[in-house]
Amino acid sequence: MIEITLTDWQILLVKLLIILIVVPVGALVGGYVLHKEMAHMQHRLGPMYAGGWHGWAQTLADGIKFAYKEDIIPASADKRVFSLAPAVIFVPVLLLYLVIPIDQNLIVEDLDVGLFFLLAIGSVGSIGVLMAGWSSANKYALIGALRSAGQLIAYELPIVLSAAAIAMLAGTLSLVGIVEAQDWPYIVWPPGIGLALFLLFLAGAMAEMALPPFDMPVAESELITGPFTEYTGMRFIFGFFFAETAHMIAFAAIGTTLFLGGYKPIVPWEPLEVIPGVLWFFVKTSFMVFLLLWVRFSFPRLREDQLQKFAWKALIPLSLVLILATGAWILYGP
Amino acid sequence: MALDVDQRLERARRPGFGIGLLKGMRVLLKHLFKRNSVIQYPDVKQDLSPRTRGVIALKEENCTVCMLCARECPDWCIYIDSHKETLPPKREGGRPRKRNVLDRFAIDYALCMYCGICVEVCPYDALFWSREFEYAEYDIRQLTHEKEKLSDWMATVLPPTELEEGADIPGQPSKAAPAAAAATQTATPTAAATAATPASVTSSATEARPGQAQTAPREGTAATEAARPAASAPDAATTPAPETAKPAPGLAEEVKDQQMDSTAEARAEPEVKRDAGGAVEAEGSQAEVEDKAEAETPSTPESTAVTQTPPPAAAAPSRPAPRIEDLEQPEDAYARVLDEQSKAGSSPQVAEARAKVARVKAERAMTQARAAAPQEVAPTPEPSGAPGAAEPEPEQGPVAPTPEEKPDSSAPQAEASSPGEDPEAVFERVLEEERAKGSSDAVATARAKAARMRAGRGAGSAGPQEQEGTKGPND
Repeated sequence: MIEITLTDWQILLVKLLIILIVVPVGALVGGYVLHKEMAHMQHRLGPMYAGGWHGWAQTLADGIKFAYKEDIIPASADKRVFSLAPAVIFVPVLLLYLVIPIDQNLIVEDLDVGLFFLLAIGSVGSIGVLMAGWSSANKYALIGALRSAGQLIAYELPIVLSAAAIAMLAGTLSLVGIVEAQDWPYIVWPPGIGLALFLLFLAGAMAEMALPPFDMPVAESELITGPFTEYTGMRFIFGFFFAETAHMIAFAAIGTTLFLGGYKPIVPWEPLEVIPGVLWFFVKTSFMVFLLLWVRFSFPRLREDQLQKFAWKALIPLSLVLILATGAWILYGP
Repeated sequence: MALDVDQRLERARRPGFGIGLLKGMRVLLKHLFKRNSVIQYPDVKQDLSPRTRGVIALKEENCTVCMLCARECPDWCIYIDSHKETLPPKREGGRPRKRNVLDRFAIDYALCMYCGICVEVCPYDALFWSREFEYAEYDIRQLTHEKEKLSDWMATVLPPTELEEGADIPGQPSKAAPAAAAATQTATPTAAATAATPASVTSSATEARPGQAQTAPREGTAATEAARPAASAPDAATTPAPETAKPAPGLAEEVKDQQMDSTAEARAEPEVKRDAGGAVEAEGSQAEVEDKAEAETPSTPESTAVTQTPPPAAAAPSRPAPRIEDLEQPEDAYARVLDEQSKAGSSPQVAEARAKVARVKAERAMTQARAAAPQEVAPTPEPSGAPGAAEPEPEQGPVAPTPEEKPDSSAPQAEASSPGEDPEAVFERVLEEERAKGSSDAVATARAKAARMRAGRGAGSAGPQEQEGTKGPND
């Protein structure tokens, strides 16, 4: 055996490299799943040609096509901000993957404040959206960006509060610690409150990603593509499609970690322990992605005022009540 | 009270918050696992309904330039140009006849709204719906299909859909079919044996022989005529056919081969049909039948069955019997020609096209036989029911002599007479024949005159037409 000793920095670099490969590939696969699931749910076939077998290379082909497109920056746009915005949107999404434990030891950096890091980094993207909207010098883009910002403020709260409840239950902000603290069955942990927290988190996550039914910022019937109206080529794909899919997978992974027991087997049963945690994590994340897409395809879009009302009048009070209930559970529960 | 109802309705409309959304999710999930019914069009083609309104095909030979289609067309998208040409008089001292010649028939599919009124309104079966729909063009002007293109579409027209089980055939007593079938059965064995008997078969059991009719018209004029009166009773077709065919399997093979060779009759057919179309044939004098044979001979030079069998006394009349066996369904014809073509080394496209043509011809034969039947049948209810019709007696019934004598006398004569036989000679010949047969003077003269007319038309149809044509189509 050849002993390969790597310094911490080298290990970190390898891990980052893996993330840089896995996340785009995952985003491509996620895009394909999105196409196909949507098509079949709507009784269509979706892509069938690209790559031969059931259009498996469709997203790849799309990516290549966008790469060849001209990168147009509007004359009246704030050029530096305009070109920087997609990166500001996409990089935080990549950073989300740094703290998600794929297995007990398979994590780029198990930060003690992992959950806090997630929530903090996850909100940076909204700055990118605002930058894109403002610098485009386009009314649709600006309205879309403002809607997006308003939506992020409104729906960040339910996410933060439900995550806070989980952190209270686990007694730690480390994501590995949270996974370890969870008992079966995960989403009913503790009974009732867990499920409510999970749904709350789902709603918040979908709103934060501007997925339907919370896709008012990019409502194409009134705003073209919202903040991304003026974007073309690679900037468009990274700022919009790619970031969206990667974001969706990241949130699915976060949901898995916080509510579904992460890399743990579905049921605490001895033989199932043999199956590696990566696989469990993958299965659960896939389920989460499916769920997000399923909701996304079935629900009609909310109107802007409905969207805000739903957050401020329903979700946020509910999350506050759930925080109280969680506290009560910790104090007086078994 | 009313308020209660309203409240209940209100409650029914709102089953609860979010229930509708969950229902929607359930529907989507169901569809996700349902078998997908998408037809991937360019790769897989849907088997469209036989009545699909794809494109309108023109059977140019049937068009009489009556202009009904163009007038009825709501979009005015049918363009017809024609000129009149003068033909020599039918009989001596008569007036020269006028005839419409179609110069242009075009449908602008960029305007057409596919209402099908033109197809419905055409009194001469010159327009048909085809299922083909892939004729998009990059240039809108290309969407105006001229008559050549419209005629090409004919190859894709399907045969009319079968009548429902037990449906009455229009214009025909429905009970005639079984009786006639019986007549055929008794009659045809003899037909195989002697040359004369098929005549009686055709005459007596006219309406009972759809089996023949389905396959027959391919084979040549004589054959066409024999078969045309048949086919009125599709139900009876299948049963008598195989039985009657048995006596002469060898002949059947032979005829089949001939049939394969002769592919060009299609063009001759319409004329045949037009001749038969009116009440002319029902009138049914022997001379007429004869003359028809004569007249058609020049007009169907491609017809191998006619040209290739000069000593037809035995072959031609006996043909009807084996023909029954052929019973070539359109699909069979298609498969056969496709096979032949591919063996002969034709390219797949050509092979397919030829096979399609063969199928269309087979279909057309069936259609024509069916169409001809009611006209033929009307005057012959009596012999059809009589099994004794097998005997070749001329004076049996009002109509029996006509077709009966046809193969008897006309078949040899038809082949014997050269295409350009002088009308006067025909007149003389027919007159003599009639007298020999013992027809009254008046009848004999009439038939001879009719024969002369037909001979004149047959001989003259090529000449004057061309002359007039060269004068200019815009007369």
